[in-house]
Amino acid sequence: MADNKKFAEKFSFNFPLLCDTDRTIGTAYGANVDPAKGAQRVGVVIDKDGKIKEWHARVDARAWPAEVVRTL
Amino acid sequence: MLNPGDKAPDFTGRDHTGKTVKLSDFKGKSVVLWFYPKADTPG
Repeated sequence: MADNKKFAEKFSFNFPLLCDTDRTIGTAYGANVDPAKGAQRVGVVIDKDGKIKEWHARVDARAWPAEVVRTL
Repeated sequence: MLNPGDKAPDFTGRDHTGKTVKLSDFKGKSVVLWFYPKADTPG
């Protein structure tokens, strides 16, 4: 969590950076395909009614943030 | 995997400041969740 705090502060994140240490959130959202590896870069958009709007198994770390902001 | 229209699984976690964050905190708002591996690990 200390590393995440440093990271979030360095880039002035205006959103919460969650620490899924026991990987329950990742598991619920299909991001832990191989438990021996780290989380897969799953991207999820949840709509205002709490339903899945988009679920992507692997998103491009450079392109997706801009793409997803356009869809909101 | 999850499909469009599925109910988003509720979750509770701690953020980088130690604050508890729940999906239900964002009721009525769009939420973007993005998973990534721990720093300095493969993937």
